Amino acid sequence: MKGKNRFGRRLSMALVFLFLYAPIFVLMVFSFNDSSSRTVWQGFTFDWYKELFQDSIILNSLYTTLLVALLSSAIATVAGTFAAIGFYNMKRRWRTPLLTINNIPMTNADIVTGVSMCLFFVAAFGAWNAFAQQFNADHVAQLPTLAMGFGTLLIAHITFNIPYVILSVSPKLRQMDKNLVEAAQDLGCTWMQAFFKVVLPEIKPGVVNGMLIAFTMSVDDFVISYFTAGPATSTLAMTIYGMTKKRISPKINAVSTLLFVTVLLLLVVVNVREVRQERAKKHPARQQEKNPRGKKFLLAGAAAAVILLLILSNQSDQRVVNVCGWGENIEPSLIEEFEKETGIKVNYQTAESNEAMYSKVVMGGSGYDVVVPSDYMVSQMRQEGLLAKLNFDNIPNYELIDDTYKNLSFDPDNQYAVPYTWGTLGIIYNTTMVDEPITSWSALFDPKYAGQVLMINNPRDAIGVALLYLGYSVNTHDEGEIQEAYELLRQAKAEGVYQSFVMDEVYDKMEAGEAAIAVYYAGDFLSMYDNNPDLAYVVPEEGSNWFVDAMCVLEDAAHKEEAEAWINFICQTQSCLANMDYIWYASPNGKALEEYPAYYKELYGEEMAPDLYEVMAAPADVLARCEAYDALPPEVNAIYKNLWTELGIKDG
Amino acid sequence: MKNKRSLFALPYVVWMAFFVVIPILLVLFYAFTSAAGGFTLDNFRNMGSYLVVFTHSFELAIIATLVCLIIGYPISYWMAKEGPRFQRIAMVLIMLPMWMNFLLRTYAWMSILENTGLLNRLFAAVGIIDLGNLINGGLNSLCAALNGAFGLSLNTARDTAMTYFQMINTSGAVVLGMVYNYLPFMILPIYSVIVKMDHSLLEAARDLGADSVTTFRRVIFPLSLPGILSGVTMVFVPSVSTFAISRLLGGSSEMLLGNLIEMQFTGTTYDPWLGSAISLVMMVIVVVCMYVMNRFGEGEEQAVML
Repeated sequence: MKGKNRFGRRLSMALVFLFLYAPIFVLMVFSFNDSSSRTVWQGFTFDWYKELFQDSIILNSLYTTLLVALLSSAIATVAGTFAAIGFYNMKRRWRTPLLTINNIPMTNADIVTGVSMCLFFVAAFGAWNAFAQQFNADHVAQLPTLAMGFGTLLIAHITFNIPYVILSVSPKLRQMDKNLVEAAQDLGCTWMQAFFKVVLPEIKPGVVNGMLIAFTMSVDDFVISYFTAGPATSTLAMTIYGMTKKRISPKINAVSTLLFVTVLLLLVVVNVREVRQERAKKHPARQQEKNPRGKKFLLAGAAAAVILLLILSNQSDQRVVNVCGWGENIEPSLIEEFEKETGIKVNYQTAESNEAMYSKVVMGGSGYDVVVPSDYMVSQMRQEGLLAKLNFDNIPNYELIDDTYKNLSFDPDNQYAVPYTWGTLGIIYNTTMVDEPITSWSALFDPKYAGQVLMINNPRDAIGVALLYLGYSVNTHDEGEIQEAYELLRQAKAEGVYQSFVMDEVYDKMEAGEAAIAVYYAGDFLSMYDNNPDLAYVVPEEGSNWFVDAMCVLEDAAHKEEAEAWINFICQTQSCLANMDYIWYASPNGKALEEYPAYYKELYGEEMAPDLYEVMAAPADVLARCEAYDALPPEVNAIYKNLWTELGIKDG
Repeated sequence: MKNKRSLFALPYVVWMAFFVVIPILLVLFYAFTSAAGGFTLDNFRNMGSYLVVFTHSFELAIIATLVCLIIGYPISYWMAKEGPRFQRIAMVLIMLPMWMNFLLRTYAWMSILENTGLLNRLFAAVGIIDLGNLINGGLNSLCAALNGAFGLSLNTARDTAMTYFQMINTSGAVVLGMVYNYLPFMILPIYSVIVKMDHSLLEAARDLGADSVTTFRRVIFPLSLPGILSGVTMVFVPSVSTFAISRLLGGSSEMLLGNLIEMQFTGTTYDPWLGSAISLVMMVIVVVCMYVMNRFGEGEEQAVML
């Protein structure tokens, strides 16, 4: 009876562990998969590991994660221990309210903690920077301007770590015999000596425990980092979150595997040591000579490592430029080439959509120098005074831009923006998953395709295609028409037409055949077509949007000159060609656009299919039925915003 | 003398004032401010239209918490009964996944649950999907027959041509993600309370004639209550406010409070004032829930993990 019971218990425990570890093993197995598929096994390879070690973005974020975890847990342990002692000695009248405040970061939702700190940093830095600007204008001595980055990330982690240390140390203090300290002092110790000789050994298990919890929490955190890290700093979790919005590379599986194995080894070593120590206790002689010294070595080693890391992270004299572009929207080698040529380091970040980029910029403290908004967003940002006038003396290559893309409504006097790419919005569909070629936006609202459609996840494009289908202008200010378009989307959503609303997740899903139909951009279709030739692209007969993405420099950019150097570099014909080949978006550099088929032929040894070229660089008859987005007045923007939030919360 | 040492807490108190209190006050301030800058209650006026999101979030978080408790309690209890070696290894095994970031673990589930993912491939290979189609077909004809015979209107349009089971982008997937990620937060505090329990109490109960069920009900369970409360808090709070799990496993069809708030700050509809108001309301509801729950427990001592 008892044996059976025990077996049942162990079995259910084993099942729980299986549940905890099965996904991790799946992750690890597919890190050795000879294909970028996450679900189909195609042979064994170490390639992802090789690529991982060349991927500076992942490695940097791993380094940031570990550094912030080490530093924040170390600082929090010291600060938390002293704070716990302080609280312990405090009168109850004071202690109780302070401990309540101390509990806030632990019991509050992460997102509230993250958001509140983000608001705080933005407000504090905004005030400081305004003061610094004033001060720098009047004085020779220069004050630095502040932006969110590693420092704010560290502060945030320390803040949410300290409560865990206090929670862990306090009970040990309470258990300690109060007379011990007094006895030590009676025997001639100063309080500090008593602390190190008597108190610390007593509370040590609590301190170590607290440090361990702090470290774990720090490594495991994503939400608070996401709101406090600023644009140029990224923890591993943030990198992964960014990637899940694009194509997920098995490099992530490789880095997970390495992390897992390292931690496993570390824990095995620690546990083996503990077991040995326990055994050694039975042979006291052996223990004495070995242990204290070993520990000191370990401590010294850890301290040295931390200092080294700090020094390494402090090489900040270098010129930098912070660029915020779109996912899969730059040839990575261009960044390296630019860095080599100019010695300016490029921090390349991506935003998900125009609206998301705008949020980050307008919130303040984004730290971006160059952004690449689309036409309508250029107007909006220009009108709100977020963009700086460019110094075209630093951008001589601007003359290479074709006249078609100059003097456009978003920048009538060519002062703020340098066109980067252009293209069309259209329908991407999987020819094997639909019965007939798609020619109309109606496919996006047709219950026939229930569960098969990926709707685009930004208000302007989504409501835009509905407006086009209804035969209205994408720039309408008429609330009734916009409402009608919203109604169309809402109904299709309610009928389950949309599998989900996506931006760059579309790559993975369309390539893998997870969905039949998607709304996305021409250039991205070509990227997907590369990996799945069953896909087709159409600019629907009702017409569509013709867009120009343009490089702009922010008004509060800290590196304006570097930003202009970057823009100038990108405008070169050679850069445009390389870029076009990678991202498949048409370039506004007339020469590059014309030369591209020849470039393609030289590179791949075959002609580029003309229909593919026409997808990239839409011919005049297609452009004739397309309309560019204009900036909408604030009251219309407000309508879009409200309807969009409403659409999101309506049950599917 | 004693008071002097309380000054050790001073730096941290200042730190808290800056990085805990002022930020929370800022949320409060933003919640009552309009984009133009003046005092307003507008941000709360529309709160009613987000009721769906509030109820959905709390519903999913409560389900996830209950599932965690149902799985976590017996596991902690049984673990505490094992030998010290087993306990140590089990603890390490529970902590270990937390050292990989929770996003990595959530991401692992994506490839398992997708329409073309591992589970669906497995189901297709074993024939479970065909079985599902067969059962649906059978149910359809059964319902049709019943409809014909009794004039009922039962559903006869069950899908009989499924090529996969829809698992990702559902509420179920989101709950699974929450349970998977936060289960250790339930097990650890409960385990740490049970393992420290005074065994003489159990012996006393038995000596006084209580059977094992009574002992559990009258002694063990009440004593482990602080651990349960702590675990429930640690699972419920992150579940109700998550935005990454719902984004990764729920697609954009699962809009939770976290997603709604994130959307206002870094997403497609920039409105930190509304975002702050929603955060504030969520915070108040959570604090009230926790307060009421802790009244039940009367446990002053919070259970510590590990």
